[in-house]
Order: sequence, then structure tokens, then C-alpha cells
Amino acid sequence: MKALTVLAADEFKAPGLELFDLPPIIPGVAWFTKPVLLALLSSLLVIAFCWSAFANPKLVPRGIQNIGEVGYTFVRDQVARPFLGKDADRWMGLLLSLFFLVWIWNLMGVVPFLQFPVASHIAFPIVLAVSIYVLKIYLGVKHQGGIGYFKNMMFPPGLPKPIYLLLAPIEFLSNMIVAPFTHAVRLFANMFAGHIILAFFSAVGFWFLFEQLTPLGAPVGVVGVIMTIAMTGFEMFIQFLQAFLFALLAAMYIGGSLHAEH
Amino acid sequence: MPAMSEQERRPESDGRDFANAAWSVPSYILSGIILYGGGGWLLSRWTGVAVFTPIGVIVGVVLAIYLVYRKYGR
Amino acid sequence: MNVIAEVSGNIGSIGYGLATLGPGIGVGLIFGNGLQAIARQPETYGLIRQNMLLGFVLVEALALIGLVAPFIYGL
Repeated sequence: MKALTVLAADEFKAPGLELFDLPPIIPGVAWFTKPVLLALLSSLLVIAFCWSAFANPKLVPRGIQNIGEVGYTFVRDQVARPFLGKDADRWMGLLLSLFFLVWIWNLMGVVPFLQFPVASHIAFPIVLAVSIYVLKIYLGVKHQGGIGYFKNMMFPPGLPKPIYLLLAPIEFLSNMIVAPFTHAVRLFANMFAGHIILAFFSAVGFWFLFEQLTPLGAPVGVVGVIMTIAMTGFEMFIQFLQAFLFALLAAMYIGGSLHAEH
Repeated sequence: MPAMSEQERRPESDGRDFANAAWSVPSYILSGIILYGGGGWLLSRWTGVAVFTPIGVIVGVVLAIYLVYRKYGR
Repeated sequence: MNVIAEVSGNIGSIGYGLATLGPGIGVGLIFGNGLQAIARQPETYGLIRQNMLLGFVLVEALALIGLVAPFIYGL
């Protein structure tokens, strides 16, 4: 943050896209930047949490197993069971990992000193969304047959025949192209915008209270600090919601492939 | 479709149907706009008359609304 | 005539920002009233759900046309 606000100018300059250009941590290795480090750290955290909660489960849960069970039943009842029905238990591993991984990715945006939501680099949501997309097509073809999958998707029963010609391309485009795109971009755009909002209000507070302290500017700085606190709280709620929605849509796509649409 | 009688309709399948419908609405409208708007744009490039693009977009929107109505509205 | 104030930049994004006002209010009204109706008479949930969906698709169409409009008119 300091590097962005050490300006010789007298005017406040809002942070922009340079927030997302991060240099490599080890000078020789170009790809090992802060987002990569945070992503690796998140994976280790998820593994450590799930291991310590579920490795030696006791009948009466103690300690971390309690929290793990709360998370597990939340994902099972809100995400898996509505869309997967009786197959829910098979897919719990994937959905639980997805939910916790995305949530910890997002939480990295508000942890002090780390402060970078990993999903605001679009590569990370794209990888997850594309893998769910490939899984969806694979399951659809496996369970409904190659031709049957596309026939069930593009020609839902119950419509008058001539309309099919006009509506089949819409169904195909919507399921095959728009769905994975929005799956990834929804997460990316929310985290990107949230990061910019937090950086903006923090910069306002810092600039008007520390860099250029003037009698007229100090109240603006105070407003900036208050808004930073408020937006951080809101951002934490949005982070949870986006992780939940990502897992929910993944479950919906998988469920739609397993049971044919009616 | 789970059993049509109201008594056998469990809350979970209600939630699933509604969530499917709610998420498919923007998806259908967007694909309708892209598909038929894109077609209209290509047509207007071919003929030189610029009005086909908005016509294509409107046609796409109307078709998408009709699709949602027939699929989920009955 | 002197220019007193001016807004510069991408006018498509301003247009979309204005276009989200109406659909935002519309979605709020539809689902707010739908929720109240479900609370008053839970056994008509299926009927209310269908009508909520119909209203929602019409409002959402306007929002998405607003998103696409800058591209139609050539930015």
C-alpha cells in the first residue's frame, strides 16, 4: 500500500489496475508471485483443516471436529442434497473441498498483511469452472449417452414442434457457453470489485489523514476509515456468499448431468 | 419430474426446481441476445442496413422469454 | 454557450449504471411481494413461484438489454 501512495503530487490519486500487478517474490522465478503463494497457502490450510477435523472422527465430536461437522452438514444440506438427491454423499468430497477452497481464497482478501483475494486473478476461477465444465460434459455423456445428452438438453419435452428450431440454439448456447463463463466470471468480478473498493477507501483514509493532513481533509479521511470498516464487513459476507454460490452452481451442473432435465 | 401430486412434492425438489429456473433465466436471455443479436448484426453488415442488429436483439429477448415461459411457467 | 460541467469517459458504462435502477426496483418488488404472499398462504407456493418467475424474466430482460445496448449502438 505504501508504494502506491508515495506520490510527489498534491492531488489524491485513486488506486487502479496497478493493484493487481504483483512482482515475483523470489527474483529469479518469474511465476512465483504473491497470488500463487496465497493459493498454495490456501490449499495447505484446507488440507490441514479437513485432516485435523475428519481424520480420527469420534462419535462425540470434540474441538475442531465440531467445526468440521458444522461445515460438512451445511454443504450437504444446502448445496448437495437439493441438487443431487440420493447421490449427494458421493459428491461431498468435491463440493466440500470446492466450498472451503474458494472461501479461504476469498478470505485472503481481508487478512492483514496478506490482503489479496486470490480469485481476483481470473486464471484461478477459470481453472475451477473449466474443470467443473469438463466434469459436467463427461458425466452427461456417460449417463445419458453422447447423442442423448445433447438431445435432452436442446429439446426439452412439452414444447410445440416448430419452436424447437428457434429455441434449440438458445438452449445449447446457454448450457455450453454461457454457463461456464458466468460461473467463473461471477466469482472473479465480485472479488475484483471488492478488492478495488477496499483499496479505494483505505487509500482515501490514509491519504487524507497521514499523507496530506489538512483541516478540511481530515473529516474526509475519517469518512474513508469508517467506510473501510463497513465495506470490509460487507466484503466478508460477499466472500462467503460467492463461495457458497460457486459450490451451489457446481452441484447444479453436476446434478443436471446426472439426472436428465424434464 | 418428481411426482406431480402436491403431497409427494418434497421441499428439496422444490428448491432444486426453483433454483434451476432462477439461474437459467439470465442465461437464456443472454444467449438469446448473443445468438440472435449476433445474427442480426451479421445480417446488417451483409445488407448494409443498420437496423437489423436491434431487431435481432429484440427477437432474441422475446424468444428467450417465451422459452422460459413454456419451460417453467406451466 | 460555456460548458459548466462535463462528464467524460465511457458513456456506455454510465448508461448501464442508469439502466440498473429500474430492474433493481422491479426485482425487489416482485420477490418482496412474492415472499409476503408465500408467508400469508404457504399452500399456494407453486402458483406464486410460477408467477414470480414470469415477472422476473421480463424484468431481467430489460437489465440485460441495458448491458448489451452500448455494443449494439457501437459504443
